[in-house]
Amino acid sequence: MSTEYVITYKAENLYEGPVHKAHWQFLIIPEQNTTQDLVSIDFKNSINAYDERSVNGFGFRSIRIRPKKEFDQIRFEASFKLVKHQTNPFELDSGLTPSEEYEKINSLDFKVDFEPFLRFTHFTSLPDNSQDLFKFRRDISIFENLQALNTWIFKAIKYSSEVTDVQTTLEQIIEHRQGVCQDFAHLFCALSRKNNIPTRYVSGYLHQGNGYFGDAQMHAWVEAYIPNMDWVGFDPTNNILVSDNHIKVAHGKDYDDCAPLKGVVYASGDNETTHSVEVLSQEQQ
Amino acid sequence: MANIDSGIFSSYKRNTDLFDELFDENGSIKSVYQELFDLYGAHSIKDYVNLNDKAKASFFNQGITFQVYGKNETQEKIFPFDLFPRIIDSNEWEIIEKGSIQRSKALNLFLWDIYHEKQIIKDGIVPLELISSSNNYLHQMMNLDPPGGIYNHISGTDIIKHSDGNFYVLEDNIRCPSGVSYVICNRTALKRALFGVFNHYKTHTVTDYGENLLDLLESVKPKGVDNPVCVVITPGMYNSAFYEHSYLAKTMGIELVQGSDLFVENDFVYMKTIRGPIKVDVIYRRIDDLFLDPLEFKPDSALGVPGLFAAYKKGNVTLANAPGTGVADDKAVYTYMPQIIKYYLDEEPILNNVHTYHCSRPDELKYVLEHVHELVIKPVDEAGGYGISIGNKLTKAEIENVKKQIKESPRKYVAQPIMSLSVHPTYIDKSESFEQRHIDLRTFTILGKDKEYVLKGGLTRVALEKGNLIVNSSQGGGSKDTWVLKN
Repeated sequence: MSTEYVITYKAENLYEGPVHKAHWQFLIIPEQNTTQDLVSIDFKNSINAYDERSVNGFGFRSIRIRPKKEFDQIRFEASFKLVKHQTNPFELDSGLTPSEEYEKINSLDFKVDFEPFLRFTHFTSLPDNSQDLFKFRRDISIFENLQALNTWIFKAIKYSSEVTDVQTTLEQIIEHRQGVCQDFAHLFCALSRKNNIPTRYVSGYLHQGNGYFGDAQMHAWVEAYIPNMDWVGFDPTNNILVSDNHIKVAHGKDYDDCAPLKGVVYASGDNETTHSVEVLSQEQQ
Repeated sequence: MANIDSGIFSSYKRNTDLFDELFDENGSIKSVYQELFDLYGAHSIKDYVNLNDKAKASFFNQGITFQVYGKNETQEKIFPFDLFPRIIDSNEWEIIEKGSIQRSKALNLFLWDIYHEKQIIKDGIVPLELISSSNNYLHQMMNLDPPGGIYNHISGTDIIKHSDGNFYVLEDNIRCPSGVSYVICNRTALKRALFGVFNHYKTHTVTDYGENLLDLLESVKPKGVDNPVCVVITPGMYNSAFYEHSYLAKTMGIELVQGSDLFVENDFVYMKTIRGPIKVDVIYRRIDDLFLDPLEFKPDSALGVPGLFAAYKKGNVTLANAPGTGVADDKAVYTYMPQIIKYYLDEEPILNNVHTYHCSRPDELKYVLEHVHELVIKPVDEAGGYGISIGNKLTKAEIENVKKQIKESPRKYVAQPIMSLSVHPTYIDKSESFEQRHIDLRTFTILGKDKEYVLKGGLTRVALEKGNLIVNSSQGGGSKDTWVLKN
């Protein structure tokens, strides 16, 4: 069974003074992969600035915009049609014993191949006093440990958009025990990597039909690599495994690799940016 | 024949503990310098000073200056220069040239490997930490094949002669090594002042550097381009090496641009000109990695070109040197150079490495902390001689301070025995005479598609303060013209 989605992404930038020169890069196009087929992309902006499709440094599809005339406000609207296929949640077994799994992840070749996703970046470094916040058990599988970690983060952190922003580091999140999806995902990456599990930060869209957390914004979750199982998605904000409600856009070491919108704008005075995301679904046979 | 006891060397004080490039251990002039010595010897120190001042004035007049970054202000200076050249005979040069090429090739293969299969790490030759704890390892470069397979198109290798008479490499500079313009300007100034003297020697030219650099840039053009348009990109006139950027562009006959002169459209790079946009194929970039493209790296950088990395990734433009080379000129990588050369080339290193202690290893850290007074302590990721502590020049309090810094972040520091750089007679304004000063040599190696070239000369840098071992221009060093003799 599969589900058809229509995703609408809107952003609006207002500037106090006129903007002479600007460049933006959007990382908002859903990835084409085995669980999702992208049917169409539609992108427009309010001043008819030229846009082009390109890739970011990690090969994910991007949209770049460079207006050629002055402006003081600009609206962007993207809409994507996509078909998502349901995956079978009962296939989640590596077929290895826990000790075989740990032997694999501790081999040098494995650590070398997954180096980027074992790294402690600015956003995924644990403060000194929190190195052992969550410890893996050696008698259960990696998957079971990660599920326990998913639940632990969900319970330990209260979802709140009041406390953190895109610059918040783990130190503040752990201190206040509050945050948004991005913070949940960074904490998961840090604790999972601390236990030698390659983990990548994922940005995308969440279909909120079932009352999940995530606001009308882009969502973030993680993928962890389990030997013999490939990458498995966890959504610690909602304490669930990634399902056909999750539409992936990009992955990276942390938020910096996946920021939905990057820009260089030459303008004076203040500016204001608003984003919104809407995901509508229609079940297909 | 001129006499050592009269003329310009009459008051030269020779410390026999040091390796003097001009005099052998018995105090006799070395044969390659004999003729030069005779020619200079016929003159008084007054004549020499007179000529030297004229040469210096020509540097100011041409604007051959550089900026020194200080705590509060930056200063514009000329690179101190004296007219007594350093001479390297063809036998010694052969070692230097072969050794420089060997290192550059090995580093290039190392870079390819660590951005692809990472076999050298899997084989246990170098530790994973060299990349996993390096901030200069650019994941965006993973599995990207730079045109011609070249990463370090231009390498600057810092070489010294130790008191044992052997050459040692102190550093490989493979990000944006600078200094080559001084090599050429020193030669021009010397020839202008002392053409008669210069003519007595058969010296290799250095003025073919621009030609070779342009050849290199053209050899790594993107696929499908016949006559590549090459440019030099500079951070601008406030950069310490701006003179060099403009000099190289002028010598190669190509445009010098800043980020704002270029734009990217449909993943191709264009240069704005009064006759409309012109597609750019090869960029000799003198901007650091993180400033190249604000949409990919540092978002607040006004120096780069938005979209440049995407154009590079798609193979539509070549960047020289490739982004991400900085991971291999880390001082921690330096310490593995003998193993790296052996691994990729199956050769013994031609140039020696200075033994290095890694403060990240507990047993070596212990040794370093106990012997700070007889070691040079270097931060692994600083260039230009910043942050270096020389143990035997430190007070007790300073030693304690250095120890504290090392203990706080051991991965950040390496230590080496204090090398005794060779000395060369250098004219010192203050004493109005020649004195022994420590020197090194930076060679410039070019690696292109089926092309290897070492500039036959290089930059001899002089530590102008007596006894000082740091020769970097930013630390008050000067330079000398360097003559490489033909066979």
